[in-house]
Amino acid sequence: MNYWKTTVLLLLLACLLGGCWNRVELNEIGIVSATGVDWKDGKWQLSYQVVIPQAISSQSPSAGPSAAVNVFSTTGDNFRIATSKASQETSRQLYFAHNQIIIIGQEAARKGLGQLFDVYLRNADSRETVSVYLSKGSARRMLEQLIPLEKIPGNAIQGMITNEEMNSSVFRQMTMHKVVLDLLGTSQAVGIPSLVVGGTGESMDRSSKLSRTNTPSKVRLHDLGLIQKDKLVGWITKEESFGVMWLADHIKRTTVAFGCKQEDKEPEESSMRIISAKTKLRPEKSGGKWIMHVHAEAEGTLLEYNCGGDMTEPPEVEKVERIVESELKAVMEKGWQAVRRHRADIVGFGSVIHKKYPKAWKEMKDEWSEHFSRMEVKITANVKINSTGMSGNGFKKTQEKSRS
Amino acid sequence: METKGAIMNKQSAEALTPFSPSLHANVQAIRNRFGGSCDLVIRLFSSDAAPERELAIIYVDGIVDSETINESIMEPLMSLKLPQYRYQKGGKLLDALRSCVVSIGSVQEINTMDEALLYMTDGLCIILADGCAAALTADVNGGSQRAVSIAQTQTVIRGPQYGFVENIRTNISLIRRIIRSPDLHVQMHKIGKQTHSNVAVLYLHGIVNEGILKEVYRRLAAIDIDGVLESGYIEEFIQDETFTLFPTLLNTERPDSVAAALLEGRIAVLVDGTPIALMAPTTFFSFFQSPEDYYQRYDIASFVRIIRYVAYIVSMLLPALYIAVTTYHQEMLPTTLLISLAAQREGIPFPGLVEALLMEMTFEVLREAGLRMPRAIGPAISIVGALVLGQSAVQAGIVSAGMVIVVSFTAISNFVMPEFNMAATSRIIRFGFMLMAGMLGFFGIFVSVLFMLIHLTSLRSFGVPYMSPLAPGPTRQGLFRDVFIRLPWWAIVLRPLDMNLRNPKRRPNGKKPPAQRHTDKP
Repeated sequence: MNYWKTTVLLLLLACLLGGCWNRVELNEIGIVSATGVDWKDGKWQLSYQVVIPQAISSQSPSAGPSAAVNVFSTTGDNFRIATSKASQETSRQLYFAHNQIIIIGQEAARKGLGQLFDVYLRNADSRETVSVYLSKGSARRMLEQLIPLEKIPGNAIQGMITNEEMNSSVFRQMTMHKVVLDLLGTSQAVGIPSLVVGGTGESMDRSSKLSRTNTPSKVRLHDLGLIQKDKLVGWITKEESFGVMWLADHIKRTTVAFGCKQEDKEPEESSMRIISAKTKLRPEKSGGKWIMHVHAEAEGTLLEYNCGGDMTEPPEVEKVERIVESELKAVMEKGWQAVRRHRADIVGFGSVIHKKYPKAWKEMKDEWSEHFSRMEVKITANVKINSTGMSGNGFKKTQEKSRS
Repeated sequence: METKGAIMNKQSAEALTPFSPSLHANVQAIRNRFGGSCDLVIRLFSSDAAPERELAIIYVDGIVDSETINESIMEPLMSLKLPQYRYQKGGKLLDALRSCVVSIGSVQEINTMDEALLYMTDGLCIILADGCAAALTADVNGGSQRAVSIAQTQTVIRGPQYGFVENIRTNISLIRRIIRSPDLHVQMHKIGKQTHSNVAVLYLHGIVNEGILKEVYRRLAAIDIDGVLESGYIEEFIQDETFTLFPTLLNTERPDSVAAALLEGRIAVLVDGTPIALMAPTTFFSFFQSPEDYYQRYDIASFVRIIRYVAYIVSMLLPALYIAVTTYHQEMLPTTLLISLAAQREGIPFPGLVEALLMEMTFEVLREAGLRMPRAIGPAISIVGALVLGQSAVQAGIVSAGMVIVVSFTAISNFVMPEFNMAATSRIIRFGFMLMAGMLGFFGIFVSVLFMLIHLTSLRSFGVPYMSPLAPGPTRQGLFRDVFIRLPWWAIVLRPLDMNLRNPKRRPNGKKPPAQRHTDKP
């Protein structure tokens, strides 16, 4: 019996020692769905988008439509002190484990994000799976914007980037993990997509405004911000970002528009769906200059085709393939010129050289951005059209035929 | 029935009262011993077979078959004229009666009063003759008893439907009808100073491990109690470990289950007065094997068995996991689920642990009430239960809807278990897990599960490790063919128990007998 007594005593002691100290009930936490970071008046301003569960639950329909989130801000010299000040103005402990996105204001990004990254690397409750965005204006403004279809704006923005990455690949989702990995990597530069409020700019901060069939203003993915070391160094446009995605082999699925002739830049009347793409980089040193051979391979389906030519004939299809190839080359060239202009190696050329020529890299790593901007890039592309769709000739041609 | 030699030997150590040569003295002694009870029937008469000597038939009314007494004992004794029988004065009269007159299968001669009393209370009839210091017993056991009917507690869809009754003789006969082999040995014991209950030990000679059999006998012989009303009495005396929540003996109401256990090399203990038989040795995994597993096709059986294991774990752990996740590890939930649960919890006054305990207690009370109340009130309870537990509690904001789902699913999972006592174990253990989860989260659950596993591996059932063949590991290959899944019958070569059976093989090999595809062609 002594054995049992000891066991029971130990168990009871265990309860007293460790029991319940970090117990938190679900109705005692404020679930943060999105965080905003701004640099304002020499202090960090953190904004939180806190979910109001009652407003979302289908179980208890509250009287009248109410917003599903509440946004408020705190300021401080560093991030955690600002967060801890939140307890002075909210009844619930902020809970960051389900934070979906973090939006960084332009000012804050120019100031430098080292402090923010330290918070994420140091603390277990700040998840590195959170998506990072830049914002041209204030980050808080983005959090206040309600978005149709989704009740929680944070989730909506998160859904937006996933959708974008999977279906058009102009931007890709940059999780905190990826951002930190790139910034700690060889080239120490990364591109982060940004958000803008498009339309009239009217604030969609009331759920009653969502009852209309159109929304006067909405959050959109806009430019790609280039971060070097830990600071924002510049912006590149969507088209340039698309090229960068091709160069960096981040294309999953996308649609490419092209004109009827290779040289012809005028109306791009046709388009092709890329369902698989692969870009290979091969560095080469010739003289004192680095050359990067970029070769893109893509496969896909013809979605829309408004030029002449019988698509049931393989030579005709090959012609179209060549046109798409030149289009891809142009896209990539555009992307390359953009990153070269900003001297930010977000395409990862540096790490390719580092892998292949480690010794040479060691010598030039300190002046890498210089070397990068002077690099020569030779782009080739190979496109394969797997299917031309259900019609061979296209509408116009069939019409002509039927008349004759 | 076997002789009661074993039990007599025990008593012969004490001083036994022999019969007196005088019939009247004997009759008087018996009457006194029963205190003049009204159900004691003493019939004095003289027979044509021996007109000058008085005879007596004594039996206890109600536990004998009066018709048999009349037809097979009284009538031949009273009406037969047997002048040709020349007997000498002394004990020979009883021999003559036994060999020529009494037309009963089981007749034997006894010499002491104590035996006579014991047999009478057992439903036998005593024939005494004047001048003989001995008596004849005739087995006329009978009286009213429940007819063999459908097993109530362990139902199957496919398979024999009948269950045991309260009469041990009927029960043994039910097993005999399944295993028609002289190797089926039945040893009868009497346990209980007042009830003298019959306890039968059944085993298959040549298969059973004799060491375990001896241990069963030893433990049965050590039982000293005034009465045995149910096999539960015996179970608590002979089980290996008292301080455990896990049953170490299987019980069943089904003759086919007992027969299957005997074929597996187990030993069955039947107790008079109850339809529940015990089977030993038992392992943890045998509680997950329903008799139907062996009657249905193997794929269905395996699927259902896996479901059973899952349901058992669910019924033990689900509320604890729910508490741990919602109060300590919210980050583990998908965001949408978290928000949905958080919305349900808005305005709930209690912490998750209290909420869960409240609901579990309510359910346990309802369940017990459902068992004990008169049948006519049944529907009322279920309506109240459904309303209280389900809708109203949620609408009143006392418990959250998620908790109701968790508690209900836990309760339903519990009913999947084919063995009631194993299901009850999980009901009790669940509360421990819930407390630990409420105090320490997943860490608490992990520690408790570890404790439980250590405890399980320490258990033995008649020397056989409780978790065998999983722990301490199978001694032979092929023992897992009937543990987590059931392979087709032809593949189950070994008897499942890892307990050094005399004959561990069921079949010579694990091959399917060849089948011919086209039976109509030559």
